[in-house]
Amino acid sequence: MILTDRNVDGIDIVSLAGRLVMADVPQVRQRLLATVERGGGKLILDLREVGFMDSSGLSVLVSVLKAVRLRNGDVVLLHLNPTVRSLIELTRLHRVFAICDDEAAALARLR
Amino acid sequence: MTQTISLAIESRPECIELLSCAVQGLCRLAGLSAADIAKIELAVVEAVNNALEHAYRNQPGHLIVVEFQLAAGRVSLLVRDGGEAMDPQKLATEEFVEPDPASPETWHMRGRGLTIIKSCVDSVEYQVRDGVNTLAMSRTRGDSGPQSD
Repeated sequence: MILTDRNVDGIDIVSLAGRLVMADVPQVRQRLLATVERGGGKLILDLREVGFMDSSGLSVLVSVLKAVRLRNGDVVLLHLNPTVRSLIELTRLHRVFAICDDEAAALARLR
Repeated sequence: MTQTISLAIESRPECIELLSCAVQGLCRLAGLSAADIAKIELAVVEAVNNALEHAYRNQPGHLIVVEFQLAAGRVSLLVRDGGEAMDPQKLATEEFVEPDPASPETWHMRGRGLTIIKSCVDSVEYQVRDGVNTLAMSRTRGDSGPQSD
């Protein structure tokens, strides 16, 4: 799993590429929580290049959501592919995550 | 005729990807649809994750075996481990907690694996015999399985 960070007007955008599965969870969780801790609690996770995710990957998303909310911030999931979107909907997590298909909309949501 | 192949991995997370790719390859070879492949791969990964986390408590050095069976119109997968058995009732009784946007205590970190498995296949059974735990999953080929894409 490759993570790439950038910042737009105080909003952290992390792009993930690869499979978000159990083997990657400790490293990805640590890296994302460090970003939340360093930043202002506003985070976009760009999942365009995540082709496969399992329930342990979902647990990373949930831990990031909890961390940003503790800082009165929020996280937006951006560019979900159909497989990942279907997993998030199946587990009803679309009820708690903001989901956008467009970066400008994701940024606007966090401003 | 049923064609069967067994794949075995050590109980380490990094071995699951290899298994997952092998199952994906077998599904492709068998001419399964992309929708079937995605569901089968996810079900297998979740079942193996469960074996590693719960049966072997994340301890490496144990064996997890996946038997892939291909029959006319049906794919079956048997995931076997020799670790701590799950309560067989759990498969039927485990309740899925729907996350509530207003209640962060419902945003659980775990406990979604069985729900995901049940949504990906059309039958799931769990059996413990002679110290071997077997989660048997089966999916009808084509678009007749539950929640087909």
